[in-house]
Amino acid sequence: MLTVSVKWQKKVFEGIEIDVSLPPYVFKAQLYDLTGVPPERQKIMVKGGLLKDDADWSSIGVKDGQKLMMMGTADEIVKAPEKAIVFAEDLPEEEQATNLGYSAGLVNLGNTCYMNSTVQCLKSVPELKSALSNYSLAGRSNDVDQTSHMLTVATRELFGDLDRSVNAVSPTQFWMVLRKKFPQFSQLQNGMHMQQDAEECWTQLLYTLSQSLKAPTSSEDSDAVKALFGVNLRSRVHCQESGEESSETESVYSLKCHISHEVNHLHEGLKHGLKGELEKTSPALGRTAVYLKESLIDSLPRYLTVQFVRFFWKRETNQKAKILRKVDYPLELDIYDLCSEELRKKLEAPRQKLRDEEGKKLGLQTKSSSKDGDVKMTDAEAPSNESGESSTAAQQEGASSSEKGTHMTGIYDLVSVLTHKGRSADSGHYVAWVKQESGKWIQYDDSYPSVQREEDITKLSGGGDWHMAYIIMYKARFVSM
Amino acid sequence: MAPGPDPNSVGDGAKRDEATTKVPSKEPKKKDDKKEEDLSEEDLQLKQNLELYVERAQDPNPELQKAALESMRLTGSEGDIGSWGHEYVRNLAGEIAEEYTVRQGEEASIEDLMDLVQQIVAFHMKHNAETEAVDLLMDVEDLDLLLEHVDRTNFWRTCNYLTSAAKYLPGPDDMLVLDIAYMIYIKFEEYPNALQIALFLDNMQYVKQVFTSCTDLLRKKQFCYMISRHGITFELDPEMVENDVDREMLQDIVNNTKLSEGYLTLARDIEVMEAKTPEDIYKAHLLDGRASSGPSADSARQNLAATFVNAFVNAGFGQDKLMTVPSDSTSGSAGNWLFKNKEHGKTSAAASLGMILLWDVDAGLTHLDKYFHSNDNPIIAGALLGVGIVNCGIKNDCDPALALLGEYIDKEDSSVRIGAIMGLGIAYAGSQNDQIRSSLSPVLNDAKASLDVIAFAALSLGMIYVGSCNEEVAQSIIFALMDRSEAELGEALTRFLPLGLGLLYLGKQESVEATAEVSKTFNEKIRKYCDMTLLSCAYAGTGNVLKVQDLLAQCGEHLEKGDIHQGPAVLGLAMVAMSEELGLDMAIRSLERVLQYGEQNVRRAVPLALGLLCISNPKVTVMDTLSRLSHDTDSEVAMSAIVSLGLIGAGTNNARIAGMLRNLSSYYYKDASLLFCVRIAQGLVHMGKGLLTLSPFHSERLLLSPTALAGIVTLLHACLDMKSIILGKYHYVLYFLVLAMQPRMMLTVDENLKPISVPVRVGQAVDVVGQAGRPKTITGFQTHSTPVLLAAGERAELATDKYIPLSPILEGFIILKENPDYREE
Repeated sequence: MLTVSVKWQKKVFEGIEIDVSLPPYVFKAQLYDLTGVPPERQKIMVKGGLLKDDADWSSIGVKDGQKLMMMGTADEIVKAPEKAIVFAEDLPEEEQATNLGYSAGLVNLGNTCYMNSTVQCLKSVPELKSALSNYSLAGRSNDVDQTSHMLTVATRELFGDLDRSVNAVSPTQFWMVLRKKFPQFSQLQNGMHMQQDAEECWTQLLYTLSQSLKAPTSSEDSDAVKALFGVNLRSRVHCQESGEESSETESVYSLKCHISHEVNHLHEGLKHGLKGELEKTSPALGRTAVYLKESLIDSLPRYLTVQFVRFFWKRETNQKAKILRKVDYPLELDIYDLCSEELRKKLEAPRQKLRDEEGKKLGLQTKSSSKDGDVKMTDAEAPSNESGESSTAAQQEGASSSEKGTHMTGIYDLVSVLTHKGRSADSGHYVAWVKQESGKWIQYDDSYPSVQREEDITKLSGGGDWHMAYIIMYKARFVSM
Repeated sequence: MAPGPDPNSVGDGAKRDEATTKVPSKEPKKKDDKKEEDLSEEDLQLKQNLELYVERAQDPNPELQKAALESMRLTGSEGDIGSWGHEYVRNLAGEIAEEYTVRQGEEASIEDLMDLVQQIVAFHMKHNAETEAVDLLMDVEDLDLLLEHVDRTNFWRTCNYLTSAAKYLPGPDDMLVLDIAYMIYIKFEEYPNALQIALFLDNMQYVKQVFTSCTDLLRKKQFCYMISRHGITFELDPEMVENDVDREMLQDIVNNTKLSEGYLTLARDIEVMEAKTPEDIYKAHLLDGRASSGPSADSARQNLAATFVNAFVNAGFGQDKLMTVPSDSTSGSAGNWLFKNKEHGKTSAAASLGMILLWDVDAGLTHLDKYFHSNDNPIIAGALLGVGIVNCGIKNDCDPALALLGEYIDKEDSSVRIGAIMGLGIAYAGSQNDQIRSSLSPVLNDAKASLDVIAFAALSLGMIYVGSCNEEVAQSIIFALMDRSEAELGEALTRFLPLGLGLLYLGKQESVEATAEVSKTFNEKIRKYCDMTLLSCAYAGTGNVLKVQDLLAQCGEHLEKGDIHQGPAVLGLAMVAMSEELGLDMAIRSLERVLQYGEQNVRRAVPLALGLLCISNPKVTVMDTLSRLSHDTDSEVAMSAIVSLGLIGAGTNNARIAGMLRNLSSYYYKDASLLFCVRIAQGLVHMGKGLLTLSPFHSERLLLSPTALAGIVTLLHACLDMKSIILGKYHYVLYFLVLAMQPRMMLTVDENLKPISVPVRVGQAVDVVGQAGRPKTITGFQTHSTPVLLAAGERAELATDKYIPLSPILEGFIILKENPDYREE
């Protein structure tokens, strides 16, 4: 009979007796009583190895009073999860792409950065993507010519390629079709394709898409592109000499931000851009007279495009010169005061709602309730007005409030910026800066996408030789009522 | 000076005259004044001789002049040499040194010189000029004389000078010098210092002598703490400590069983017990927007990185938020981090438990137990490795690591075999355990074993027998190397074979020569690599300038084909030069040159060499160099630079490096390999939440722990081919760093070894070698209460007289004794 002590975890069991005539398994059973560890899970360290169940005590050489060490737990044995974990490394290439959180870049085919940046900016509009994916040859209306159709298909394919790929995509097909449709982009200089104006590319491409994406029914309202980007302007044309006044409406795809010496901010530039003078024959005076044209926004698009009018034709140098003036633009744009009276009325209720929601987020909800009583009074009237009008408004605005219960607020968030770096439109370098759904900003410099910080995006406002915003796109903020 | 009964006094006087006349005026006539003195025949003869010397002394022929002066001094040597002033004695000493070399050349007698030396040394030692006495004795190669002249007042400065001079002496003189220092310390019962030198000399006889000479049990406990920090295996015998119970207790200290407890005391005192997640380290929120929203699917590579970061950061704390959380939480088994690692990644994940529970063998084994019963081979391999890691530096009578791992060495599956072999290597590093050798050596000749198993077996044997020069182990590794086929020699892992061989001779200098000779017969593919590895290991930590030059010459060559031996040469440069500050700075500058002119494979190794030179010591210049290299166009240079940033900042929480790495993480967020390196580096910088160090040097940078160096060098060799090893499936070599991990603390304990808190001053260490009086040893200090952290180059001193530390080197565990003379103010 031997007496030993056994150390297990942090505990020491003193004075355990070993009957050397019985196999060690019996000893293990003794320990089972003490520790609750089943014998088969017990590992008892003896000199130079583990104690075997059927070993002979005499050959192990355990001495009286020796300290033994036991390892073992009654813990559950780890099992692999039933559902195997899928690792990003195992996914096919296209799924890895979505994992990155942004899509691939576009290869520069020789001065095609204007086109690459345009495509990247437009690709950031998911609605346009889905409209394109619904496009099919069968559905096209007859008035779409062959090249437009090809360009539309090429755009769809390119967008698809970009989403699937991890590495930079070469837009060869798209570029070929684009040049076919718009021969002006094939201009050569020293045997190379020339740099082009991105704005021209943007406008032409959008126009083509709007033509081909018109529903077969070919009614104005179902023009998908127009529903997304179109801005209806109501202008008052006023002649000071004769006192004549007329109003007209027009639909544009982008607002212009005119840059003059007074303009320091996008808002001022937009206001400036909505006022203009024009000369036309006045029926009253019987001669040409100067008319003042003042436009106001009549309906809001889902995506508001603003073009900074940075280039002008400089006769002396015979090229498009660039205005380097710094024009700040905000991440959040409110165009309420550019809207027409009726539109403003419609916007009031959703805006109030939005303010309330934001206030709630900041924990201010109780404070505003009593103070804004009079505002609420006017609100109370508004809905009745609204409900009557909303049905018609919905039709007018097309897709803008197609989802029941969501309303425009006149507030827009910046989603993409197309910048230009250089001194003239036909030279320099175009780069697209696009906000992803994750909230990350990605700079697409041809084939190299890179992550950017949000505060750096507003620094693209010009005033130096750094990239400066040329076309920017805002996305409408909706509020559900 | 009137002539006395001593016949020599005349000669003395005359010389005196000569000196005074010679120096200010060159007027030889003055001696005539004394002519009228009565002189015996003998004296007259002497006087005439002297006059002749004096005349010759002013001879324009410098040789004649010199001979004259020397003869003059020798003739009249018996007087008090000090009477002529210090400057004179100093001059004399210089001339004696010169004369000594001349006579050595001629094999002439030096007895007369030695008489003078005796006097001069006695004079110097009495007049606070110990350094000069030592210098003179070193010149005349008779340091033993010193023992007669040291006393309580000057032995400390003498020894201090001896130990620091030893670093700059060529072998075997350095050993001789340290021997003397050891003897002096023993003579004055300064046992801790004596022990330090004994450990430096790796002389176990001396270590034993320290124990037998000292009778105080408490002091012996302190010795045990010192030995345990050095990381060597040491058995106490009854001769050293008579009482069985005492001996067991002391052996426990040597075996490091209380290390975990001490470390946790420190952690609790500094309030860093709370487990940290990898996200706490990455601090992605500071990178606003950039790469903040992670990918939706789990990336195996990134999860593996998180596993390592988690392991390093929570090392030794016994708790974390990935591995030790109970798996039956709400998320069920899906929440089990282990399975978020892929295949071989699971090995590292399971082994990370060993790291988290580092040094706490009981708890570690408990946690690892359940993985032994897994049916997944990588998990079993990880559990085996984890057992090895938990036991790193801890010895236990029951040998749990050997008992558990032993039977897995010969299993079928390679990954399981590697886990067991590597675990043994880590757990028994430096132990020279014969039982393990007999089970590992056959693996080297196992025809069925795959190359990786053989490589890790060689490496583990090298670790277990580190610095032992064991012939048998060397033989078996050499045979294994010779057996490799041409193709196998080209494999990345083959480098572990020469490395294992090199580790056997770590720091053993000439002892490597026989093996180096054999290595010349190897296949040319590995020959040079082996050569460089052996050379660099053998001279590691010696500061041998000649070897540094040899290695530099290797780096300078511009090779045409893909030879890989320059990598170890660059690392070797750092290994040899790392031992002392001057050589270290020179090596850093040389590496800067190598970087500019070297070939690509040399450039890749340079960051790693810098990492070794400044390990856990973030020097700003090196940090800047590495930061620059981390953006290098060659991605392998960038990878090694990033890992090295982690190494130099290891365990420091250095904010600047952390910031750099954070920026790198967003810069490289798309490159999975580079990002992995950045993550590892981040984990290293925050290792042990800033309580650990990787520096193999300790005891005021005097001692070099061989096992620690072995661990680091192994990792660096693996980093020479990052892509195939660390970024491949052998990432667990990162765990070799555990060998070098030590708390960078000073923990004071009372006579019952319970922690007590006392005020200490911590500041930058000042070099006080050769300074007179009682100079300040630290500068720019702050006062803290123990336990405290010590950064690289810092030193602590007690700020109270209430206690007396039992070791003058205030690092690690320090036993305090109450000062009997202390009076409360």
